[in-house]
Amino acid sequence: MEYIFEGIVRAIELLLTGNEETYSAVFVTLKASTMSMIGSLALGIPCGFLLGYFDFPGKKQVRALVDTLLALPTVVVGLFVYAFVSYRGPLGEMQLLFTIPGIALAQTILVLPIVISLTATAVESLDKRLRSTLMALGARGKQIAIASILEARYAVMIAAVTAYGRAVSEVGISMMIGGNIKWHTRTITTAIALETGKGEFSMGIALGIVLLTLAFTVNALLTILKKRST
Amino acid sequence: MSETPLYRINNLKYRYENGRFLLHIPEFAIARGASIGIVGPNGGGKTTLLKILALLEDPDEGTVYFDGTKVDRTNDAMKRSVTMLLQEAYLLKRTVFENVAYGLKVRNEKQGLTEKVHRTLHMVGLPPDEFAQRRWHQLSGGEAQRVALASRLIINPRVLIMDEPTASVDQRSAVLIKDAVNTMREQFNTTLIVASHDLIWLNTVASQVFRVYEGRITGLASDNVIDGPWNPESDGLWKKVLPDGQVMFSATPPGDSAAKALLNPSDIVLAKAQPDGRDGLSARNIIRGTVTLLSEENHSKKVLATIDLGGLSVISRITRRAAESLHILPGTPIFVIFKASSLRWE
Repeated sequence: MEYIFEGIVRAIELLLTGNEETYSAVFVTLKASTMSMIGSLALGIPCGFLLGYFDFPGKKQVRALVDTLLALPTVVVGLFVYAFVSYRGPLGEMQLLFTIPGIALAQTILVLPIVISLTATAVESLDKRLRSTLMALGARGKQIAIASILEARYAVMIAAVTAYGRAVSEVGISMMIGGNIKWHTRTITTAIALETGKGEFSMGIALGIVLLTLAFTVNALLTILKKRST
Repeated sequence: MSETPLYRINNLKYRYENGRFLLHIPEFAIARGASIGIVGPNGGGKTTLLKILALLEDPDEGTVYFDGTKVDRTNDAMKRSVTMLLQEAYLLKRTVFENVAYGLKVRNEKQGLTEKVHRTLHMVGLPPDEFAQRRWHQLSGGEAQRVALASRLIINPRVLIMDEPTASVDQRSAVLIKDAVNTMREQFNTTLIVASHDLIWLNTVASQVFRVYEGRITGLASDNVIDGPWNPESDGLWKKVLPDGQVMFSATPPGDSAAKALLNPSDIVLAKAQPDGRDGLSARNIIRGTVTLLSEENHSKKVLATIDLGGLSVISRITRRAAESLHILPGTPIFVIFKASSLRWE
């Protein structure tokens, strides 16, 4: 048990003294997950709105596919993206392998179904009177779409926060696409896996504390947003 | 040449999903600046009719003309001339100010926005200092309904359609809604179409009240409706027995024994004392009852006296002077007198 306590003490020391290696992993994690959030929200919110708002042939099948992809394993996404961005792959020229944008691209694919599905559910759950009200007040086409998204804003934010939680905590993609390169693509999760394997508990625990703090923050945000949306 | 009505309906039909008719209106017209009330039981097609007139729904068959032109729901200018306040008004999840300003913002009419919003909030009895920055969930039912009304009034529509605007509001809100609507009509000659179960309130805003029953406009709602059964008498009259055993006679035969008879409130005469026999009295029906309610009819300024005839309620329209001379109040025993020939059939 003693080495665990020692690890915790050392972890706090690493965090308080601003250990560069530790903060590099934190920075890479935040950068990759922020980029993936921008991508997934930019694509996912409009797609989720279309899926939730309109009726079209095959809607149920599309919805079933999106819902199935919610459980997409990170290593499968990693495998596919690796195949595309590796030097022999169709996107090889973009040189995304072992880069933060590469991790972000794969994370975007991972969390896109979450954003689409939860946004669609949010839009489907809107009050049936909303459309008639907006039309009665003179709103048209795009104005109705924007006002509907705004009405569902808290639920859409829940989708974003849920997606962020998934992106920040995944390890498979960061390992396969990022390559866990120290100072460059090493994220919190890959660093924890590596340091634990080496028996270096202190850095693992320090990064674990940061990850847990992020998880608590995300969870607190979710709780606040859920309260506001009801 | 007579003026083109604002609305004209030709052979309008609207079906339920099972194909049954919810609405069937062969012919109906609404003049510009009219204030029309609609009453009728739930499920009778009132809301659907209002949504069609508000250009929120299309009929399955038939044509609706607005201002002489066939209704086209892709015509933005036409759609923006009409607005509707839903039965349970929905407020956007924003502040009161944002809710009221929304209609002008989507029209890109942002000049003097704050002043217009404040003025409209005053109209519906909501002081802007107190209410403008409140959020949608910080309002009572009556306040929310008035915010919803303000958001319609501010766009100064040609037609204001309201579905049960006072169904879930307190009495003060009902009065404030009436005042705001009447002020709006006086200033802008807005055409008003309102459905309500509250006939007394409706009479304070509408000059004509129609009854919608089983998808049809069956006539003016001010008519008393008297259900059957009607049974033939040997003297050629048709008799209905009232719940307390008194009887009522019709001179003309009903289509069937269960037919509904209509009786114009102006055809009913009231007397405090029972006339001596039928000598010298041309009316066949003399029925004992009790006054239950007195109200004023907005457009005619006459008094509507609701009278309970042993379980059947009828309304009599009398002048204010007659009401004063009779000294009637709720609870006053009264005799209701009308001719057997006054009854018509629906």
